[in-house]
Amino acid sequence: MPAAIQSFAVLSAALPRARLPGAPLFLLLLMAFHSAPAGPITAKEIAALPAPAKRTVDFTKDILPILDKSCLSCHGPEMQKGGYRLDFKADALKGGENFAPAIKPGDSAGSPLIHLVAGLEPDSKMPAKGDPLTPEQVGVLRAWIDQGAVWSQAGRSATDPIQSHWAFRSMGRPSSVSGNGLMKNEAVPNPIDGFICAKLRENKLTAAREADRVTLIRRLYFVMLGMPPTPQEVAVFVADKKPKAFERLVDAVLDDPRYGERWGRHWLDVVRFAESNGFETNRERPNAWKFRDYVIDAFNHDKPYNQFIREQIAGDALGMDVATGFLVGGPVDIVKSPDPALTAQQRADELDDMVGTTGTAFLGLTLGCARCHSHKFDPISHGEYYSMTAIFAGVQHGERATPLPAERADELAKLDRHIKGLEQKLARFSVKQTGAGSATNAPRKALRPPVNFARNEEVFPSVQAKFVRFTVLATTGAEPCIDELEVWASGRNVALAANGTKATASGTIDGFDIHKLEHINDGRTGNEHSWISSESGGGWVQLEFAKPERIERIVWGRDREGVFKDRLATGYRIEAASRTNVWRTVAGSEDREAFKGRIEHLPGPVYDFADAPLVEAAEGRNWLRELDQARERRRGLAKLPMVYAGTFSQPGPTYRFHRGDPLQKREVVQPGTLAIFHPFTLATNLPEQERRLRLADWIAGAENPLTARVMVNRVWQYHFGVGLVGTPNDFGKNGAKPTHPELLDWLAGQLVDQGWSIKKLQRRILTSATWRQSSAPRPEALKIDSGSRLLWRFPPRRLEAEAIRDSILGVSGNLNRAAGGPGFFLHEVDRENVYHYRPKEQFTPAESRRMVYAFKVRMEQDGIFGAFDCPDGSLVTPKRSMSTTPLQALNLFNSRFVLQQSEIFAGRLRKEAGSVAEAQVNQAWLLAFNRLPDRRELKEAVAFSKAEGLPALCRAVLNANEFLFIP
Amino acid sequence: MNLPLPSFNSPLLNRRRFLADTGIGLGAIALTHLLSRQGLLAAGVSGKESIRPLIDPGHPYAPRPPHFTPRAKNVLVIFCSGACSQLDTFDYKPELIRRHGQAMPGKEHLITFQGEQGALMKSPWEFRPRGKSGKMISDLVPHLGALADDLCFIHSMQGKTNTHGPGENFMSTCNSLDGFPSLGAWATYALGTDDQSLPAYVAIPDPRGKPQNSVNNWGPGFLPASFQGTEFNATNPIRNLARPASVLAGSDAATRKFLQRLNEQHAGRFPGDTELAARIASYELAARMQLSVPEVADLSSEPEHILRLYGADEGGSKVNETRAAYARNCILARRLVEKGVRFVQLFNGAYQTGGEGVSNWDGHKDIFKQYSLHGPVLDKPTAGLLLDLKQRGLLDSTLVVWCTEFGRMPTFQKGAQGRDHNPAGFTCWLAGAGVKKGFSHGTTDEFGYKALENIVTVYDLHATILHLLGLDHERLTYYHNGLERRLTDVHGQVVKGILT
Repeated sequence: MPAAIQSFAVLSAALPRARLPGAPLFLLLLMAFHSAPAGPITAKEIAALPAPAKRTVDFTKDILPILDKSCLSCHGPEMQKGGYRLDFKADALKGGENFAPAIKPGDSAGSPLIHLVAGLEPDSKMPAKGDPLTPEQVGVLRAWIDQGAVWSQAGRSATDPIQSHWAFRSMGRPSSVSGNGLMKNEAVPNPIDGFICAKLRENKLTAAREADRVTLIRRLYFVMLGMPPTPQEVAVFVADKKPKAFERLVDAVLDDPRYGERWGRHWLDVVRFAESNGFETNRERPNAWKFRDYVIDAFNHDKPYNQFIREQIAGDALGMDVATGFLVGGPVDIVKSPDPALTAQQRADELDDMVGTTGTAFLGLTLGCARCHSHKFDPISHGEYYSMTAIFAGVQHGERATPLPAERADELAKLDRHIKGLEQKLARFSVKQTGAGSATNAPRKALRPPVNFARNEEVFPSVQAKFVRFTVLATTGAEPCIDELEVWASGRNVALAANGTKATASGTIDGFDIHKLEHINDGRTGNEHSWISSESGGGWVQLEFAKPERIERIVWGRDREGVFKDRLATGYRIEAASRTNVWRTVAGSEDREAFKGRIEHLPGPVYDFADAPLVEAAEGRNWLRELDQARERRRGLAKLPMVYAGTFSQPGPTYRFHRGDPLQKREVVQPGTLAIFHPFTLATNLPEQERRLRLADWIAGAENPLTARVMVNRVWQYHFGVGLVGTPNDFGKNGAKPTHPELLDWLAGQLVDQGWSIKKLQRRILTSATWRQSSAPRPEALKIDSGSRLLWRFPPRRLEAEAIRDSILGVSGNLNRAAGGPGFFLHEVDRENVYHYRPKEQFTPAESRRMVYAFKVRMEQDGIFGAFDCPDGSLVTPKRSMSTTPLQALNLFNSRFVLQQSEIFAGRLRKEAGSVAEAQVNQAWLLAFNRLPDRRELKEAVAFSKAEGLPALCRAVLNANEFLFIP
Repeated sequence: MNLPLPSFNSPLLNRRRFLADTGIGLGAIALTHLLSRQGLLAAGVSGKESIRPLIDPGHPYAPRPPHFTPRAKNVLVIFCSGACSQLDTFDYKPELIRRHGQAMPGKEHLITFQGEQGALMKSPWEFRPRGKSGKMISDLVPHLGALADDLCFIHSMQGKTNTHGPGENFMSTCNSLDGFPSLGAWATYALGTDDQSLPAYVAIPDPRGKPQNSVNNWGPGFLPASFQGTEFNATNPIRNLARPASVLAGSDAATRKFLQRLNEQHAGRFPGDTELAARIASYELAARMQLSVPEVADLSSEPEHILRLYGADEGGSKVNETRAAYARNCILARRLVEKGVRFVQLFNGAYQTGGEGVSNWDGHKDIFKQYSLHGPVLDKPTAGLLLDLKQRGLLDSTLVVWCTEFGRMPTFQKGAQGRDHNPAGFTCWLAGAGVKKGFSHGTTDEFGYKALENIVTVYDLHATILHLLGLDHERLTYYHNGLERRLTDVHGQVVKGILT
């Protein structure tokens, strides 16, 4: 560092750091010399500071009371004046806008905190209000800093976030409560019931008796499958007198593929999944449905929850590419502009969506609250928020190509054999082509091994070069791909972009973020980070180093991970130059053995049938036609599947934005996570995928106190309507406390111990007596706990939008059970620049699939069921509202859809029950309510049906409360 | 507890008794008490104490008390979709006329939403003094100009985004992202409504189509769906409102009655479950709406002179026909206000179709040509609406708010004859209950580019509207996703200067 600059640095460091952000250098120098009061703190002033106390200082006993009394009202959870917060160690040390770092452990004389409380900064004497600190207090603070600023957490109950808030403490492992008070009729006690009963007793409540079997199976089907059981299923269960009939039913239901459709839908709410971009353009994402199928499949196959988390954050590293649809599932404004402020804001919003959703979905933490300032309630600093954005900074919204599924790869291999066979048959019609550079006439010498897909090394006498050019002359087929081009000089890879090397190319294939030119020297290998030429069978790429280098070795490959066996440069030339007009060849393919693997000649050999006998020529032409067709098919098959799961590229540095404003950049932050438990920080140049993997491991680790608790609470909520914690996305201090803290921890422990199996957890819940209680209300219990939060009964509730639609289709016998694949449309779509979606009026069997398979449009609701609090995926929905509106009534009573289903339902009744009205009504009740009508109901229904017709009866039944409520 | 089953011939009477017996509302109170005693409700934000209205599930639209005496009972928002230029309507800038054709000083290389800017451009329309106040208003909107003495202008509006979707979101919900509750949803969540046979909140889309960010402008966001704006206009009725054509009226009524019978028998087995009662009540409200909504939307009883006042009687050209269709929406808006509907949102301009600025105020390319359609369509009907409200005495209790998502540039875009987006300064106006008349608040700079004095943010505007409804924007909250959410987020100050 030149001396002049160095001396300035010393001066400016002595100045309050950000007092004049952006002030020109000369001004700062002037100030330093001429404006004494605001100038640097002098040695004399330092010497006059109260002396450090001469004893060992205890943080809790000595320091905390000072902070509490004099500092935290302005620099604590409520307020962070000057951007400074003194109730967490990291923030306290780091400092605020004007004085950073505020505390230098071991150096109290150099710590701005001491200067401020001692009154050395005339404009910023602290505390600003109230009595100044006594010299003794300053001395104690100094001693504390000099002794290392130890921030002990023990005993810090009032303000320490980890000790004081239940959800941040490690999970307890409460032993299950047993003994008296358990539910009646319970052969094997379920620990869940022990916890529930204890709480009931405390509140002078008692549990209800077990619900009857019809209610049980109906409840089980609604909650677990989102549809009522068939009359046959009910009859079998009711008649099953063998022990453990319900347990066996639970197992069957958990194995039913409709289970994943039902529970996957819940998760899609939590991760704000939808298939259009939102905002005014609201265009479709045609390949987003694969994420929906992934989620359904994960539930059906009981994917361990920790694995489910990891895949959604970093599935690209775990062989589950589609799962990262989670990261980019949110809305995105695709209206871009040359206005840089708008662009920066849009990007900040995208990252906020990723950070915020990750925080709420997995941790139940509102990380988004720390976007503009440190979190008001929870120990999440402003800086930590930006450390989290740095983890996602390499993620962009969009589609990416994913590896071929195994069965397609097999098919491809088969087709290749077929093509090869045809080529062999056609060989005799082949016209010999005289290509330039043919090696056949060259004198034989010892050849190097042929090129291979994974890694090829070129060693040559060292040469001075500013440029290196790799020119492809032939390939195994299609446009060549190089995953990384390394150029070595005295043990350094000088090709890396990180070293200042610039890459140019003849052309790059369009539309693939994973094959952009930047990947040629980004230090990452494998297909995901590779360059593909725009030219079939050719193209070049050129590197320009920051300065001339003495290079001696070049390494390159098509896919160093060994997955892809195509697009290999079989003929190539490598040249070096000091100036771009003087190239010399340093290596090439001519001294290698010919590549013997599969080669598609592009352009292929030319066949000539003119000289062949007529019959043979005709046969040859047929083969050629067949060959052309096979090649055409191959092109389709080899096309990599696209999925809306984001694209990844190495990001630049991430900055903290003052007040969340992307135009007010502050310091660079390292990727990292929250200090509250086992934090990590990562190097700023760490590959972006590695960042996400680290975060995924941190969230999915068994020691994270939130992850398991948050998930068991969600599961509980979807079983009982309300979670043990009423605020499923906020386990922070501002959230609700658990009604049954020990039960929550016990369940969370079970989840972890049982291999993170959601189904095992659910089996526990479903087989508990708590779950099996009757839902009948009791006035005396309602008076104490009208919301049934303490579970003195099973709380009944209305079905959600999707379950209502699915149940109508199921009961009318019109449900199309086709699972998976692209969604069906509930709307007509006007695909202009701005997309418009109009609810459909006519429905065909294609629209009779389960609603989870409807193409999920943002902003526009389904014309009928949207009114039933169906979220549109613009924001995360941890819990659906359950409103009751006249529009719901109108939609269900008057819509064409419901009328159409009523007709179909009536047709089914006639078919299944014949023409006798009583039998029709009985069957209608069995299908819709899973019970027979009582005598009076039967009489009234028959009379009504006879007067108004069977479809009218069906219309009423499909609108009935009994049909729509989970009993 | 077993209730006697109601007799079949008087279900309504018995339903009432059923509701009374089971005590709707009481349960909710007991619940709140238990939960707060045990700390199971989420904590409120510090500072001012939150007020979360207690919603009775059986009567989500029941009138609820405001926080303090309101100035306005209902609100009518007129929203010009596409960003209506302040410089061609209400923000008179003599300096812009003088410097016409010159570069904007200091902004020679300004890049805005669509790119580079050309020279300063005066409006193609003349400005003249209007009314007693002499307010300068352009010839594009002469009828509105004639009402200058009744209007309260805010010329110093400032937005946060210069993209239409986020801009419309911001003006309608105070958040530029999708999915937040609209102002109307907040208002009806807080206050309910007086007339229990009409929706509490009606959104009237332009006859040419929905606005650019569609239903998000009147969405409930995370509030219960009850508070979503009900969408219909004079051309398109509420979806599924009418009895299906295939069902005869008598049969329809009988089915409704039979359904009620089913529901009451079922509810008898679950005494005290308010959700069940709420659904029964919702079918009754739906039935009332089937009668009252077509009645309120039926303009055939409007006399000739009223149609003429709004311009609803003219045809023969594209401008006239579009104007007449919009005018019918204006009459509908008045009829709804008259009936006491709490919040009406009337749109002028639709989503982009047929090209930029064809169906809305997005005049990038050729502002003279495009606004020559939009100006007349807006002007006479909107003025007619104000006059009609005034002559019926409705302006005393109704607050009218005219707004748009953001303003436009004083320069023309390079290579075009139109103006680019500009959220830095634009105009809104208010009229009616609680606001000054013939008054102008705030200014933009000499060219009308940036708000300069008395800057009013969109948050401030919303805080003021809630204030006029008797609501403290800092106390009206709803708990969602870890936060005690407010309409105005953590911002907003009531613009005291415009209040009477």
